[in-house]
Amino acid sequence: MGENNIGKEIISIISEVSGFDEEEITPETNFFKDLEIDSIKAIEITVAIEKKFKISIRDEDVPNITTVKQSVELVNRLLEQESLVGAGS
Amino acid sequence: MYDVVIIGAGMSGLVCGCYLAKAGMKVLIAEQHHKPGGYCTSFKRQGFTFDAAAHSFGAYREDGIVRKIFNDLEVDKRTKIQRVDPSDVIMAPDYKISFWADLDKTINDFQKAFSDESKNIKIFFSLFVNPEPIFFVRMRSWTFKDLLDKYFTNNKLKAMLSLPLYGNSGVPPAMLSACMGAQIFIEFLLDGGYYPEGGMKSLPDALTVKFRELGGELRLSCAVKKIEVKDGKVIGTVLEKDGFVLSRYVVSNCDARQTFFKLLGRKVVGHDFLSRMNNMIPSLSAFVLYLGVDKFYNLPEPGSNVWVLPQYDLNKAYSLVRKGKLNSIGGYLMHVYPDRKSLLSLIPVPFINRKYWNNNKEKLLESFIKRIEIDAVPGLSEHIIYKDAATPPTLHRYTLNYKGAAFGWAVTPSQLAIPDLRKPSFIQGLYLTGNWTTQGVGISGVIYVGYDTAKLILRKEKAC
Repeated sequence: MGENNIGKEIISIISEVSGFDEEEITPETNFFKDLEIDSIKAIEITVAIEKKFKISIRDEDVPNITTVKQSVELVNRLLEQESLVGAGS
Repeated sequence: MYDVVIIGAGMSGLVCGCYLAKAGMKVLIAEQHHKPGGYCTSFKRQGFTFDAAAHSFGAYREDGIVRKIFNDLEVDKRTKIQRVDPSDVIMAPDYKISFWADLDKTINDFQKAFSDESKNIKIFFSLFVNPEPIFFVRMRSWTFKDLLDKYFTNNKLKAMLSLPLYGNSGVPPAMLSACMGAQIFIEFLLDGGYYPEGGMKSLPDALTVKFRELGGELRLSCAVKKIEVKDGKVIGTVLEKDGFVLSRYVVSNCDARQTFFKLLGRKVVGHDFLSRMNNMIPSLSAFVLYLGVDKFYNLPEPGSNVWVLPQYDLNKAYSLVRKGKLNSIGGYLMHVYPDRKSLLSLIPVPFINRKYWNNNKEKLLESFIKRIEIDAVPGLSEHIIYKDAATPPTLHRYTLNYKGAAFGWAVTPSQLAIPDLRKPSFIQGLYLTGNWTTQGVGISGVIYVGYDTAKLILRKEKAC
């Protein structure tokens, strides 16, 4: 999946959970400051991202999911790690 | 034709309705019962006023979310809200500790009782002071027991910290989501104990007045038979007496099983979703005792939520009551009203079946009174002039909640924040609100979800 597509998928998840229109969400939009994401919505977003990309986000990665841009980077990194693990096994 | 039909006038439905009407939408709330409020209501018997189930609320500090909502909707203008200090008292065989409005005083009391855990008590409490959403995300798969185990080794301390959470969620610590446990800890214990003049009923009454002022229409004794869906989109509801009512949105503040199995049905929802729902567990129901005493007696600890813990194993207490062994009352709430003449006492119990309660209500009522007499109120039984109790079938009758569940779905880590139980992805225009959404527990929880549901709909409107 290309970076653009990952970005689009994440924006679609954020839009669904927050109720904000996809057009209102940019790569730099802060989930908490701009989209009024509360603790439960933050959990929904995290779980939805984990499910969509079949990855598991570790405790130390959690602070890195506050903007779309950061989320895309994190998903890419985790996908890369998984493919490396997969190739090595 | 309405913009929105809300099914159920519980606190969440009322708050949601007010915000939508305030934004200019045409809103109908249809409530099957003859009074609004759901579990948040009060009744009078022989001169005593009792709250039916909800008996205080939280999140009302200066910047608390309920304070903001009650201010927006002028609830605070229509009823005087006061806070009792301490809001909660935990009574165990070896200790009695209070939750004070002054957090340092509370921490100090816990440290004095459990000096071995002193340092971690301070750290533990500080977790709950203005936590970031990230704090909850980290704990998304933990139980509250997991969280406690990270900080404490003393099982007595862990049980004392857990009892109010068990009592406010109907889920024991080994099953309770750490996120929901933390939410309850923050909103019920660190910022709890608020009470409106005239009883809990004053809250739905104030919201009803406001809702009607804003042009909203509330119909009582008005059951909904069906939610109509066409091409994956809601088109309205069928009311039992008045027939089909057209609307662009439907918000269900009623039981999730009612919503999906009965009002929508298998054809619309699909077999897979319903069978997944069949595997979900509800929170426990409750046995609620209502007592009034004579003029020669004054009850202790007026206003506070007194949590009585006769033994220290809540997970075992839960598994015993789940098996229907109700004789061992393993932890309960006692709430004395400010006039010191009446009390409400509540113990989490399962539904079992109607026949069981027909045969056992009186027996449990008497053994519960004896228990309270031994643990907390000596001489109580000699002064009782009014006694009655609500059983799980009573809770079901008032609200139609599945198995009389007192707090919606059990908020376990696997039943937390399930998006389809808030806004089903397969039906446009349908939202759920209240304690069956897996997103909020208790009065403050459902009030917030109601406010948030209104915001979700208003954002959708703006985008269209």
